[in-house]
Amino acid sequence: MAVVLEVSEAELVKDAQHGDRNAFSELVRIHTHGVFNVVYRMCGDALIAEDAAQETFIRAWQSISSYHPQTPLRNWLYRIAFNAAMDMLRKEKRILPNDIEDMQLTDGQPGLESLVSQQERTQLVQKAILSLPDASRAVLVLREYEGMSYQEISSTLDIPIGTVMSRLSYARNLLKAKLKPQLSLLEIEHV
Amino acid sequence: MSNHVTEWLNAYLDGELNGNRLQNVEEHLAGCTACQAELDSLQNLSVLLQEVPAPEFPSPERFATQVNLLLPQKRTSTPNSQLFEIAWWMIPVGLLAVWVFISTAALLGDAMSVAKNFGLLDSTTASFISAPSDTAEVTSTLGQFGMLHGNNLQWAETTENFTRGLFPQIVLQVSVALLYLTWFAVWWARQTHQGREALLEG
Repeated sequence: MAVVLEVSEAELVKDAQHGDRNAFSELVRIHTHGVFNVVYRMCGDALIAEDAAQETFIRAWQSISSYHPQTPLRNWLYRIAFNAAMDMLRKEKRILPNDIEDMQLTDGQPGLESLVSQQERTQLVQKAILSLPDASRAVLVLREYEGMSYQEISSTLDIPIGTVMSRLSYARNLLKAKLKPQLSLLEIEHV
Repeated sequence: MSNHVTEWLNAYLDGELNGNRLQNVEEHLAGCTACQAELDSLQNLSVLLQEVPAPEFPSPERFATQVNLLLPQKRTSTPNSQLFEIAWWMIPVGLLAVWVFISTAALLGDAMSVAKNFGLLDSTTASFISAPSDTAEVTSTLGQFGMLHGNNLQWAETTENFTRGLFPQIVLQVSVALLYLTWFAVWWARQTHQGREALLEG
């Protein structure tokens, strides 16, 4: 099944490289969810993400003749998506939080009184992710939300595997520090 | 237990370890509560991250249609454009071949003339080569009619020989160089244009 999909995608890419807009639309259809997921996780805003996803595919169309099939199309698209998302954030005057101190719970001690709803917690987690440096956030998004291997992340972002590991470690350590109260609550829930 | 494996815990959690490294980490974790606690903490963080819901995806069909409407017109790569590319890259190759031919012909011509002057060529081969002095026909004619004398005659002969022999070579080589520079300028302009397009990608 996977082989059939690959062959089909390779043919679509070839047709798109020859200017076939319908073939390209089919590629857009196939990769909408992946690209949208990546840009959303990078931006944290559905409207900005939709614009960034559109921009991603427009850029991909403009430069598809330079795409080499040795790289998986998904990786190539994600690289464009990260750049598009970053550009979009710059354009939108970067609304990401730099620190989540102001979003922390007023009572840092875990307890029944300080238990926040699931929704509030996920909002805090999302804001913590968005407060990460761009480079580390990109690695974290690809690992946690796209399930990519270190090798795939390395290929997508064009960085060495050692850099993937250090950025991921940095991102997780930062998140652990920022989300300490939430992690403590989670441990209590599990106990 | 010493030699904690904290630096490998991320890779262990992500299933990126294998072989001896994996075995070492697993053995260490079995006996080290500190590293086990660190691993638990990383696993909890992963759980927390997965709680963030996926966005509401737009319908792929609707989104693809929207994108299709926004796509700009694009140059298409047809067999003709591929032929053009081949022809384009043949231009500098052809110019180089012409330059090599001109230079080689000039060198050979000079060498043959020298060889003839030293009598190194047989009469048949020598008959194909004209001596440099034979080329100043106009000056000789003017000299015969008494219109040029002494130094003037020598200068006129030198000038005519230069004009007939060396000058065409210089003109040809300068023309080849100018054509190459023109090709290079167009290539540079094309590269700059393509570079701008590539910037859009990243």
